[in-house]
Amino acid sequence: MTALLEVREARKSFGGVHAVDGVSLSLAPGEVLAVLGHNGAGKSTLMQMLAGALPFDGGQLRLNGEAVKFASPADSRAAGIETIHQKLALADNLDSVANLFLGRELRSRFGLLDDAAMRAAAVPLFARLNPNFKNIADPVMSLSGGQRQVVAIARALQFKARVLIMDEPCAALGPAETAMVHDLIRRLSAEGVGILLVTHDMPDVFALSHRLTVMKTGRVVGTCRTADVTEDEVLAMIIAGKPAAACLPA
Amino acid sequence: MNAQTQRLAVMAAVLVAIAIGFHVLTGSFLTAENLYNIAQQTAVVGIVASGMALIIVARQIDLAVGSLLGAVGVLMAWLQYTQGWSVVASLFAGLGFALVIGLFQGWLSAVIGIPSFVVTLGGLVSLRGVAFLVADGKTQPVTEPWLLALGGGLDGSLGERGSWMLGAALIALIWVWQFVQRRALMRAGGTPDGKSGLIHGVLGTLAVIAVVAVFNAYKIEGQEQGQGLPLPLVIWVAVVIALGFIAKHTRFGRYVYAIGGNPDAARLAGIPVKRVMIQLNLLLAALVALAAVVAMARLNAGTNSMGTGMELTVIAAAVIGGVSLAGGSGSVAGTVLGALIIQSIDSGLLLTDVSIGWRMVVLGQVLVAAVVFDRVVQK
Repeated sequence: MTALLEVREARKSFGGVHAVDGVSLSLAPGEVLAVLGHNGAGKSTLMQMLAGALPFDGGQLRLNGEAVKFASPADSRAAGIETIHQKLALADNLDSVANLFLGRELRSRFGLLDDAAMRAAAVPLFARLNPNFKNIADPVMSLSGGQRQVVAIARALQFKARVLIMDEPCAALGPAETAMVHDLIRRLSAEGVGILLVTHDMPDVFALSHRLTVMKTGRVVGTCRTADVTEDEVLAMIIAGKPAAACLPA
Repeated sequence: MNAQTQRLAVMAAVLVAIAIGFHVLTGSFLTAENLYNIAQQTAVVGIVASGMALIIVARQIDLAVGSLLGAVGVLMAWLQYTQGWSVVASLFAGLGFALVIGLFQGWLSAVIGIPSFVVTLGGLVSLRGVAFLVADGKTQPVTEPWLLALGGGLDGSLGERGSWMLGAALIALIWVWQFVQRRALMRAGGTPDGKSGLIHGVLGTLAVIAVVAVFNAYKIEGQEQGQGLPLPLVIWVAVVIALGFIAKHTRFGRYVYAIGGNPDAARLAGIPVKRVMIQLNLLLAALVALAAVVAMARLNAGTNSMGTGMELTVIAAAVIGGVSLAGGSGSVAGTVLGALIIQSIDSGLLLTDVSIGWRMVVLGQVLVAAVVFDRVVQK
């Protein structure tokens, strides 16, 4: 079966530092792949590359078997990859509806913003994700962390993303909100969306992911089925860089 | 009422209080003649301030507007007076020059990444030099009657009938707009808030009628007809309506606010940040050229000193009008109130025979007070 998304030997360096140094991974439809590693392991750089925010220095990106190149975040989004950045990438001064459609606004036949249509599309979507989410006309800076996360995730639903990249989606969320985000991730996965989950958080990994990939200093330590490893083995991979027995060297 | 509307209401109340206060002190502040003069005097600053608001919203600054206005004004006047160009050709040449400067400064800050403060600080000094070089420091008179009318004064107004006609058109526009918005909302399945639309419509209608009535009441000695709306005010209002519309209802306007709120988020959302920033610089440059035409018409000449220090008045008008220097918030409508507040205080102090020194002391602290007020309200 062709992978939904496949990264082959991706490379990126900043000056002399090889932030991403020959990383390969693949993602199937409906699969949740956790990407783990210390700070500076290259996870976030890799995600930025997939999001079109950083160009590849080397290697290849394939979507449904076809090689693609992104010149900008807009290209990545147009190809069906939605990215939820760690700092959420919301314009704090705009309301939820404006953020949902940011960069892809609906326009009337005169080319003007169609606020009414955007609002009409947003209301049921937000309600589906979180029934308590009523203050959609407030600037997002006044929303809770969970509500902000809902806005970011809603983008993936509204624009029918095939791949969703989530960078630390539950960092800074309370228990109830974390449960809500977990629930959303499971639902999206059930709908066939491939999800790359970048995280530090072991409970997230074991609750959500089907497979996991551990990175260290820009390289892949190992990739394996989450069910085949224990938390201690994963921690050993992150800290010592030694692949667990169940993990094939990538 | 959202925070933005509340702030506008407070600023309007402050403006009314200032006007009443000075009227009590002088007995001549709230006369048609004085209000007519204030409107004319504020227009040049107001036209530029409406564009400056968007620049500051996008986390930029433009310190070169006063010098650019001087350079453009002298250039246009020099082309007419010394070079014998037709008026229209000279105005387009001035606009073209302004756009080239806007493109250059926008490119430096958006593409090369030089802070706009530095780029335009350079422009502030250099363009004042250009204003001197164009005509070797000599004043360039302009004489074309229709051009001078754009500066207001005796012949530069719409007259009673014209003012009522424009007022009626504005009132029609207000109600049509309320109706269009209401229909769009209903088509999208929302329920319009009937009362708020009605309140906006009625307030807008009353404001237009009041303004037209006041300016029509101003009769210059020896004239049978009232003056009506001065042309600089008409131009300023047109600019404010156009920019307010662009800010709220176009993708460009939405992007300006998004960039100001979170530049990284804007970039990651696929917004062409550099292109928007350059367009924004071009927009402000075009407004400066328009303001230069009005300033030149008011002075009956282009001089190398026109617009000196105007950048600070313009920025102050935007800030007093509620634009946050941190970017991301503020409105074009607010700059109208900001500019009027500054000009009213300045004129009022002049009428009460306060010396130039004290006027400057007060105006500076009014700016500080406006920001302090915002800070206190936020907490």
